[in-house]
Amino acid sequence: MAARGQLTQSTTRLDALARARQRAALLPDCLAEARRVANTVIAGWHGRRKRGIGETFWQFRPYVDGESLSRIDWRRSARDDSLYVRDREWEAAHTIWLWADLSPSMHFKSDLGLVSKESRALVLLLAAAELLSRSGERIAFPGVLEPVASRNAAERLAMALSLARSGPAGMPDLGRISRSSEVVLIGDFLDEADTLEGCIAPAARRGIRGHAIEVYDPAEETFPYSGRTEFRDPETGAKLVAGRAETVAADYRRVWLARREAMGAEVRRLGWSFLPHRTDRPASEALAALHGRLSGVPGVMKTEAR
Amino acid sequence: MGGLPIAFGAPALLFGLLALPVIWWLLRLTPPRPQAEPFAPLSILARVLKTEETPAHSPWWLTALRLLVAALVILALSEPVLNPRDNSLASDGPLVIMIDNSWAAAPDWDARVSAAEMLIGDAETSELPVIIALTADRRNDASPGTADHAREQLLAAAPRPARPERDATVGAIIAGLDGVRPGTVAFLSDGIATPDSADALKRLLDLGPAEFRLIESGAGRPPALTSASNGAESLEVTASRLPEAATGTETLTARDIRGHDIAAGRLSFEAGEGAAGGTIEAPFELRNDIARISVGAEPTAGGVRLLDDSFRRRRVALISGEAADIAQPLLSPLYYINRALAPYADLVRAESADLSQAIPSLIAQNPAVIIMADIGILPDEPGRQLEEWVNRGGTLVRFAGPRLAAAPADDPLVPVQLRKGERELGGALSWVEPQPLADYPVTGPFAGLPSPQDVTVSRQVLAEPSADLAARTWASLADGTPLVTAAERGGGRIVLFHVTAAAGWSNLPISGHFVDMLRRVVQLSHAVAGAGGTASGILPPWRLLDASGGLVPASGDARPLDLTTGIPAHAGADNPPGLYGTEDGFVALNLFGTGDLLEPLAVPDTDVTVTRAPIAGDTAFDFKPWLFGAALLGLLVDTLIVLVMGGAARRFRARGAAAAAVLLLGAGLAAMPHPARAQAAGDSQPGDADILDRLDRTHLAYVITGDDDVDRTSRLGLDGLSSYLTGRTALEPGDAVGVDIETDQLAFYPLIYWPMSDNSPMPSASAISRIDAYMKGGGSVLFDTRDRIADIGTGGGSPETLRLQTILADLDIPPLEPVPADHVLTKSFFLLDSFPGRYADGPLWIEALPEQTDDGARPARAGDGVSSILITGNDLAGAWAVDDTGTPLYSTVPPDPWQREYAYRAGVNIVMYMLTGNYKSDQVHIPALLERLGQ
Repeated sequence: MAARGQLTQSTTRLDALARARQRAALLPDCLAEARRVANTVIAGWHGRRKRGIGETFWQFRPYVDGESLSRIDWRRSARDDSLYVRDREWEAAHTIWLWADLSPSMHFKSDLGLVSKESRALVLLLAAAELLSRSGERIAFPGVLEPVASRNAAERLAMALSLARSGPAGMPDLGRISRSSEVVLIGDFLDEADTLEGCIAPAARRGIRGHAIEVYDPAEETFPYSGRTEFRDPETGAKLVAGRAETVAADYRRVWLARREAMGAEVRRLGWSFLPHRTDRPASEALAALHGRLSGVPGVMKTEAR
Repeated sequence: MGGLPIAFGAPALLFGLLALPVIWWLLRLTPPRPQAEPFAPLSILARVLKTEETPAHSPWWLTALRLLVAALVILALSEPVLNPRDNSLASDGPLVIMIDNSWAAAPDWDARVSAAEMLIGDAETSELPVIIALTADRRNDASPGTADHAREQLLAAAPRPARPERDATVGAIIAGLDGVRPGTVAFLSDGIATPDSADALKRLLDLGPAEFRLIESGAGRPPALTSASNGAESLEVTASRLPEAATGTETLTARDIRGHDIAAGRLSFEAGEGAAGGTIEAPFELRNDIARISVGAEPTAGGVRLLDDSFRRRRVALISGEAADIAQPLLSPLYYINRALAPYADLVRAESADLSQAIPSLIAQNPAVIIMADIGILPDEPGRQLEEWVNRGGTLVRFAGPRLAAAPADDPLVPVQLRKGERELGGALSWVEPQPLADYPVTGPFAGLPSPQDVTVSRQVLAEPSADLAARTWASLADGTPLVTAAERGGGRIVLFHVTAAAGWSNLPISGHFVDMLRRVVQLSHAVAGAGGTASGILPPWRLLDASGGLVPASGDARPLDLTTGIPAHAGADNPPGLYGTEDGFVALNLFGTGDLLEPLAVPDTDVTVTRAPIAGDTAFDFKPWLFGAALLGLLVDTLIVLVMGGAARRFRARGAAAAAVLLLGAGLAAMPHPARAQAAGDSQPGDADILDRLDRTHLAYVITGDDDVDRTSRLGLDGLSSYLTGRTALEPGDAVGVDIETDQLAFYPLIYWPMSDNSPMPSASAISRIDAYMKGGGSVLFDTRDRIADIGTGGGSPETLRLQTILADLDIPPLEPVPADHVLTKSFFLLDSFPGRYADGPLWIEALPEQTDDGARPARAGDGVSSILITGNDLAGAWAVDDTGTPLYSTVPPDPWQREYAYRAGVNIVMYMLTGNYKSDQVHIPALLERLGQ
């Protein structure tokens, strides 16, 4: 009788180096997967959606006296009697802080999910890094990678993660992040002591915008267990025995959904966006949604809403 | 034995039950092992689980189930037995077993045998002599014997289709005991009293046995059929049973003489009643076929009633006074009777118009009914015969008419006195209208038939009024004048229709009521006693009933049935129940007669201990296997519960399906025959390569005679013919093959050339029989005596011809003829008129065709198939033989190159004829066929 869920790597081996090595082994795969996923999303890249300094055409508008003559688009203006100016889309680079929870609880994968939560979180992280670095943003990982603007920033992030001596424990410290940055947090946010809201509230008060992606396994939502079952927390090792697990499933689902509802509401109240993502859904779904949020069009890819 | 009669084989083990509380305590302590699952959102789960109490113990009912299993195992080990048997035979005298092997014992005979066997076994243990007596057997050897001897007697015994004869049996027992006082007397009774049973039991008890055991079967003893009679609408059956408190419904099954079910009915016994009646509803036609009725699912000889000829289809003889019947059939008085009765009865017509011949000859055919249409005056002698026939049981149906109306009034063969002349209703000289019919009297035989509203009568003969006229009237007109009257005469009956049988006097004959009325009349008739084949008085047994109610061919000690004293009411020892007579006519003898009732057997008052016991065979019932089975079942249930509680059902769903598929696949593979093994026993045999060589092309074959010269000529000749065939025809034969007729397989060759040689050894008889089989199997042999030249002047009888004669003497040769000019052999490829070889003028003999019919215009003839033999003397092979360069080896006689060409052509025709058969003879008709098709 095999268990429904499993931990993708042993949590009893606390050797940080070994864990780092394992993560390093995971990273190239995640990187490749991230590139693939990013490619599916890049087609929907819409820039900043406002006029500004950039390279791509945004719009023609009538010439207003006082503007530099050099900005007149003569080809367009020759077609009729008025003068037109070619506006370009604003493409300003700024820093995006990416963070993914790599704690032991993320190693969980049930037979309902496609991959472990950690794997999915890394894929999302790296894919976002790839996307953002391709469009010239600077990306950073709190405690691991300082802001860097490079075409291969995703690779450098992966390298830095694999070299990190131990995974960043708990929620990240957002105190050092400047106001003009955006933050992307990926994790399961299950820690009772160190909550998501507690982490982002100070930053939000400073005006930092951000996005939280909650990665969870289907088994954690649907609670498909039945019979006598002993549940064990992968982080604390605490155990809990349910006599007939199926009897509490309904209650559990109710509490789970209520908790997420409350968390989402609080996060949104702080001005952040909140994105639940289940590991049996394709990663591109969450990435597209994240990308939409980053580009300022949150409604575009809202397919993950269930 | 107070309470439940249970004994334990190992009662000490029951102390194990004391351990149950310990087991209870142990079971309570070990809950099922939980399934371990990693689960990150434990804190959320903890919030939910707080309210639920996690069981540290198994649920009480699971523990109870396990305790039950443990208790069952302990109980099973202690070997409990229900109704343990005890050997309680009285040991102070021989054991006497009296068994009723009568008809009523047949259903539970096996139980009786095993009950008796147990008694014998007990007697063997107690070393008592045993006496076995069977009440339905006529000869009982009731001397005391060993248990083994008694067992043999018991095994030889079988239930008999008879009633028990207990008195005689008790007499045999008393004789066998020879004054010794018996110990236990056991009577395995069928529970049915016979007239002598009280007496017999009293005599038996007077012997003063130590114990008398009456062993009877319980409820459900078989009923017996006591009568069956053919009513107007249905077959009425009465049955009897031993009175029982419960009501009982039995099914009745009617079968025809071949044993096929043709009808069914129902019979209900009221509570406490011993007799009941039932009916079998079936159409009249079907009822006539019923030969056997049985009651219940397990028929016995008493529960089967055999019916004889009186139930069969009636034979009806028709006589009319007119001779012109056939010339104008629609005007014949018998026409409507014929049409009405033909589906329901066998009709016999009078052979001649002369009544003094017709009536005796009709009576000799033993009809049940004779219908006379408008016959006024009967000659004396036939009239007397007819009267006697009616007295014996015949039914005479007469129709009125002008002749009867004119007949004198003293006719003895009418049911009522008739007035002379007829009455006319309606018509030019009458005021009255034609009369309709009144409703049928409710007591008469026509009661129940639909009321005849549309029938009107315009003329009739009238009966003289008399006191009993109303009683004799079966149907009357609306004004009350009788239309159909009848009177009983002896065993028979005379019925008179007061109108004609044709539609002249009324429209009755053309209405459906006529059919109904005639059918009723015929139905009421019955076979004439002592007539036909059954008149001899002594009937041999033909088919007898066995104890289980089946009909078996007569055998054994059944004696012929003597009818001179009348048919006995029921079967006896000499005449077991069955059918007596022959297939053409028989009398049924049944075990029970009308009015017989089954009475329960009563034991007379006595001071001997009488124990009653049911026949239950070995009533000891061992609980052990059942207890173990229940324990195993409990364990299975427990396993399932544990699996379900562990959440296994969901997990095993997919895997279970896969496992089942694998199991099924494995079973299928195991069940499949091993293909490799099947092929390993290949059937390759030496010589297969040769056979395959022979099969791919046609080969001409010759018989290796042993004379080298002749054989070489044959081979070269056939090779020459083969190359000629290859050049001229579509046939490309392979090399000529020499066959050794002693050993070689001949079936591959359409034609075998067999030159006769004086120098060759004579073939053996087996070789000749192989040739015979080859010819019968479709092959053809061309015999060549090569002696045409030697024949000239000698007048026949050359050595080769003699050799041929010797060979043919052993063959099955059809008639032969020289090839006729129109034989298909002359046209099968070339048009030929002779078949020369080296010699030109010898004939070619061939199987003679069937005699030519008139259509002499046919240009070619052929029988079916191909002639299996051809004989020539022209030395065909000699003419065909060429050497390697194509030069002929032998010159023809006379030396004519065209003759060789014709010899080849003859060979081609022969081969083509062999291969195509009569195809060519059909082919020559194509022009005629096309012309006939209009093309």
